[in-house]
Amino acid sequence: MIQVLLVEDDAPTRWRLQDALGATGEFAVTAAATIVEARTRLSEATPRVLLTDMQLPDGHGLDLIRETRQRHPETEIMVISILGDEESVIAAIRQGATGYLLKDAFPTDIAATVRDLVAGHSPISASIARFIVRRTQAQPAAALAPQGLNTARLTPREIDILWGIAKGFSYADIAGHLGLSRQTVPGHIKNIYRKLEVNTRGEAVFEALQQGLIRL
Amino acid sequence: MSAAAAESEPMPAAPVAPSRLALRLLFYLALQALVVLGCLGLVALPRPEPPPRWQLTEARLEPPGVTVGLPHRHDASFTMADPPRYVLAFERPPGLPDEPWSVLLPRFTNGVTVAVDGVEILDSRRNPAANRPDRSSPEIVVIPASLLREGRNELTVRLFVWGPLTGFLDGIYVGPDAVLRPAYDQRVLLFLTLPVILAAWQGILAVILGMIWLMRRHEPEYGALAASMAIGVMQAFIVAPSGQSFYAGLNAVLIASAPLQSAFGVLFLLLVLGLKAPRFTTLLFLPGLIITVTGLFGGPGAVRAVYLALGPPTVAFCLVLIAVLIALAYLQRRDAISLVRGSAITVVLFFCVHYILSILDIAPDHRLFLARLSCSAMLIAIGIGLTWRFVRALNEVDSFAGRMVTLVREAEDKLRATLSWDEERARAMALAAERTRLMRDLHDGLGGQLVSIVALSERQQAAPIGEAARAALKDLRLVIDAMDDIGGDLMLALGAWRERIAAQLRAHHIEIAWRVLTPQGLPLHPELRPGHVIQILRLLDEAVTNAVKHSGARTITVEIETVAAADGHRGRISVRDDGRGFDAQAGGPAPLLAGRGLANMRRRAERCGAQLAIVSGPEGTRVTLDLPGRFADLEAPGG
Repeated sequence: MIQVLLVEDDAPTRWRLQDALGATGEFAVTAAATIVEARTRLSEATPRVLLTDMQLPDGHGLDLIRETRQRHPETEIMVISILGDEESVIAAIRQGATGYLLKDAFPTDIAATVRDLVAGHSPISASIARFIVRRTQAQPAAALAPQGLNTARLTPREIDILWGIAKGFSYADIAGHLGLSRQTVPGHIKNIYRKLEVNTRGEAVFEALQQGLIRL
Repeated sequence: MSAAAAESEPMPAAPVAPSRLALRLLFYLALQALVVLGCLGLVALPRPEPPPRWQLTEARLEPPGVTVGLPHRHDASFTMADPPRYVLAFERPPGLPDEPWSVLLPRFTNGVTVAVDGVEILDSRRNPAANRPDRSSPEIVVIPASLLREGRNELTVRLFVWGPLTGFLDGIYVGPDAVLRPAYDQRVLLFLTLPVILAAWQGILAVILGMIWLMRRHEPEYGALAASMAIGVMQAFIVAPSGQSFYAGLNAVLIASAPLQSAFGVLFLLLVLGLKAPRFTTLLFLPGLIITVTGLFGGPGAVRAVYLALGPPTVAFCLVLIAVLIALAYLQRRDAISLVRGSAITVVLFFCVHYILSILDIAPDHRLFLARLSCSAMLIAIGIGLTWRFVRALNEVDSFAGRMVTLVREAEDKLRATLSWDEERARAMALAAERTRLMRDLHDGLGGQLVSIVALSERQQAAPIGEAARAALKDLRLVIDAMDDIGGDLMLALGAWRERIAAQLRAHHIEIAWRVLTPQGLPLHPELRPGHVIQILRLLDEAVTNAVKHSGARTITVEIETVAAADGHRGRISVRDDGRGFDAQAGGPAPLLAGRGLANMRRRAERCGAQLAIVSGPEGTRVTLDLPGRFADLEAPGG
């Protein structure tokens, strides 16, 4: 059984996600409606997967993601989003999330997404990929933006993969275009997530340095 | 690498090695020696002379009554009152045809009267040109037939001399006019006409250079050269008969032109070489001015004395100074123009030395004075060079102006592009900010409520409500997605659309086959606006929804390609299903729904300027959307 901690304040949505995961029999879901409750659950047991909403009654989901990333590095984190917009998803990625889940996704899709995440496959949407590659193009302006995203460490190959995803190509198509094996594409995507994450003091310094250099 | 680059750097400031300097000097001097040799050759050329048969080479000089050979140099430097007489005898052989005879005096200084058998037939002093010792004027006179006797005739030549020259009488020819005249004509051409032509030319150049100087006061070298030339022209054209004291004075003033001219020459050279004219340059003009003043107010004797004391030394000093300056300039710059100038000044120097040797009777020659002529020629050469330089500078200015115009135009274009880019950027940023705000609002409000509706409807088994809520959420995402700045790449909008459609089709257990047939997918459309994107995505949504609801298809295929059109490349998107096709369906609400959907699709295609083709048959329906070459402006964006 895969231990899942679900943090969602809207009761119908919480029930829905809980049902969708529980129906498969693969997941043991613990639910929490507030950050305080989530912290309590986290101190009791370390879940394999953390699913969290952003807007919570007693704080922001981003804080919970950061804490979990630091205290429980093995826990996979997904943000639950209504629109799958970059506003929330990119912010979550920067704090250490490696995927997102749409609140109205079909139950089978919900279970499949979490299953893939545990298997090491981070999902990435076309609009998120688009957002990231656009930041690689307009670096100086992006570096100054409040939502600054450090894309300097992405390799050309990773950027090519993101372009492919943004344009709707399948993993197989991308692998074919770039001369990769189809199986290695998810690994690259996971790397991309890790590179975009800013969760240690050292990396924050590195990012500042990068941006400083870019501004020079 | 940097060391190599440093080595290859030219070092203009480095001093030239002494050995190379010596080599350069040697080359320069060798060239000047060649020029001198050329001048010597020029001087050695035979003068135009009639056959020697008609030449008289012996005369009795009275006083003192001795026989002398011609040409003869007379020591006197002033003989106006009591001139020496040369008495010559010539024979006119009897039985010759009745043709006119002439007396030709190729060269004399300064004036002669010629009498045949005691009757005077020529007084050269009445010919102003002949009075100019620097002109080398010949004289010819026809002996009146009544005077000419067969056999022995007596010819008397009186020689008038006025300073500073001493007297000179070249060999005299007496013979048939037809034989003597060609030589006379050639001498007139060489020693009278040619100087006048050169002087006229010099005058024109003086006017041109003077005008250049007037218009461009910051380039005084043009003025200096124009002044030098103008003085030369005055000297050439103002003629005064000799004899009276005032005119003699005027003559002396004209003689003063040489020192003035050479002083201007020095000034010109200093200016054109870009050297700072030292104080003493003004002093160079002093001798010329003193001579002029003396000529105007003093007597002929005083002028003569002053001129002899000041004139030639000044001219010589100036010429040598010019020669040295040019030589130094050449050593420093190694330019062709210095070589040309150096050769020209060498020519002038040569003829001046020749002139002085001739006056002092050191060099045996016939007192043909060419210094003035060479000076004219040199000034003209320099003037032409200067005019050429001026015209070239004008050309450079023209091309510079042309270059500036191009540069300014480029800069303007760049600025305009930057401005429009900035505008574009500002517009995109405003759009992005608006989108973010909208997204946050929808996220916090409508979106969350819709999600709750979906969740609740699933729990209450109210599927249609859930579906409607989910459709509303889907449309929300579509609207937000369309607002994103995709830089004219419709592929980016289709990528996100694919994900939404795939999730929708998965729920209905329909496969989606996504095929991009050309590597780039669709062409870029910089004019693409969110309004267009939303029209296209809703159109495609409609096509997929129709297939899902009415066709019973198992697979929906989306094909994206770029096809060649008459006027370039066009994008094409087609949605194909393997269902029943709506034409084949009989009755029921489906055709009606489909019909309304089709009308919507057509309207959307029209708004974008795209072509929509729908083919439906038993093997399925195919919706083909041909994108326009350029998307039409939307009157109501997003409508």
